[in-house]
Amino acid sequence: MFSLWIGAYDQGLAYAGLALGTYLTLRVLNFPDLTVDGSFALGGGTAAVLISQGAPVPVALGLAILFGCLAGMVTGLIHTRLGVNDLFAGILTTTGLYSITLRLMGRSNIPLSETPAGILALPDLGLGLDGQWAVGLSLATVGMILLISFLMATDFGLSLRALGNNPTMARANGINQRRGLTVGIAAANGLVALAGALVATYQGFADVTMGIGSLILGLGMVIIGEAVLRPRSLPRALLAVAVGAILFRTMIAIALQLGLEPVDLKLATALLLLIALAFGRLRIPGLSADQGRQEQ
Amino acid sequence: MSSAPHLSPPGLSVEELSWGHPLPGSGWRQLFSGFSLSCPPGQFLVVIGSNGSGKSTLLNLVAGTLRHSAGRIHLGGRPLHRLRDHQRARWIGRVMQNPLEGTCPGLTVAENLRLAERRNRPARFAAGFLISAFGGIHPNGGDRRRYRELLGELGLPLADRLDEPVGQLSGGQRQTLSLVMATLGSPDLLLLDEHTAALDPRAEATVMALTDRLVRQLGTTALMVTHSLEQALRHGDRLVMLHEGGLIGDWNAAEREYLEPAALRAMYGAAIVAPQSSSAADGSSAS
Repeated sequence: MFSLWIGAYDQGLAYAGLALGTYLTLRVLNFPDLTVDGSFALGGGTAAVLISQGAPVPVALGLAILFGCLAGMVTGLIHTRLGVNDLFAGILTTTGLYSITLRLMGRSNIPLSETPAGILALPDLGLGLDGQWAVGLSLATVGMILLISFLMATDFGLSLRALGNNPTMARANGINQRRGLTVGIAAANGLVALAGALVATYQGFADVTMGIGSLILGLGMVIIGEAVLRPRSLPRALLAVAVGAILFRTMIAIALQLGLEPVDLKLATALLLLIALAFGRLRIPGLSADQGRQEQ
Repeated sequence: MSSAPHLSPPGLSVEELSWGHPLPGSGWRQLFSGFSLSCPPGQFLVVIGSNGSGKSTLLNLVAGTLRHSAGRIHLGGRPLHRLRDHQRARWIGRVMQNPLEGTCPGLTVAENLRLAERRNRPARFAAGFLISAFGGIHPNGGDRRRYRELLGELGLPLADRLDEPVGQLSGGQRQTLSLVMATLGSPDLLLLDEHTAALDPRAEATVMALTDRLVRQLGTTALMVTHSLEQALRHGDRLVMLHEGGLIGDWNAAEREYLEPAALRAMYGAAIVAPQSSSAADGSSAS
């Protein structure tokens, strides 16, 4: 039974980058970004290709982040330069990314047989490989939270938060909305691609379809984290989102333990989110119906 | 302009400005055609006119939130018409009509002030973001001390609420903060777009007193749009009236003394009455 919990903990932390990226776009930038479905698989595919060909894991993770950033930048540019609707810009990029990821991988699935040496070098806390992964992923997640918290507290982060909060005011205070949105979306997709790479490395394979439903997964993690911890500051919100990722994977582990078929998982996740949206507990830009339209 | 003191802020010059917009369904409304207006350095210009006369549009064209189809806008020789709105913000402070629009409700009072303080050197997003990051955490203790002193000097109770989200402030407090933000960094031009329209009389009096004080203190060139005839007759150095994108009245402070609210109200109603004196005020020309 304990292996179930530690497994859920590890998986949750592997997905933390997805939750943090979703939080950055939806809550900080106020931008509903569907690119995450594509950038998650792109990150996983990139890492799998490089690791399977003998590249060092840090290099593979770094390139996955870079490719994720590029994917986000494309969405940002499509939206800000070409004036394409935010949701549609993300769909366009994600659709294109499927082919790019498939070309990159060469086939739809790449297995990774060996655990990275960096993970094996970590203390196992008496839990074996799961413990080593727990230590490694915990360090990675804490590093991400600290880095994002720091950046969000600088003038750079303040400008991004202002853009999401009140773009008119942000522009009136000299902030370049086009560039800010593009950089913010790129950074968020870099995190998502890192999550894809970590998940692929952890589960031992990458699949070209692994990104389907990532936005919904990320949203679920954000909602659970916010509902449980009710954060009042940005660093706490980031921590809450990471905790939400762990709780979300734990709930999935419990549901599977109780007999839920794995094929029904995405349906169950979608229904859970639908209930949250329908009862107005969750306000998501571009995804929640506005009050006026509901009443018509 | 040559008589202006050496250190006075630049003046505003709008020349041959044209702007129009499509009408619902079909058709086109050309609001401004060859509109010209100049505002000497340090002048506090009040703009009045009926709804649809082009007052707020003029401010938006100067700020760059609307793009003109022809003409030139200069601020002290700088060609604003070639710049985008966020680039113009380097020299322009704005207070919007809606208290909700001029501030970031999700950020604290200190964070809003920090954004405004950096208006003339905003964070760079591309390669410069690392430089920004190494600039450290802001607003920090030093920033807070500075803001507390500033708000204290102005006699504003916000000094004790620096770490509260702006969304928790009243409309009057938000508009006061918005005004302080607009004047931070000594902008060359201050644009006030009916900034007391949404306030109760007490808050309006507070904000207008602060407006007068800050404009005088900074000596900045200011354009204030208002629907309040009382404000139009009591504040500023010069009053102009717009109608259908044209200048139909222009009074300097001395001429304004002789204006009666009833006469102005009549002009609002008819909006076709020729001004008693359109040449007395310095540097203006009706379109």
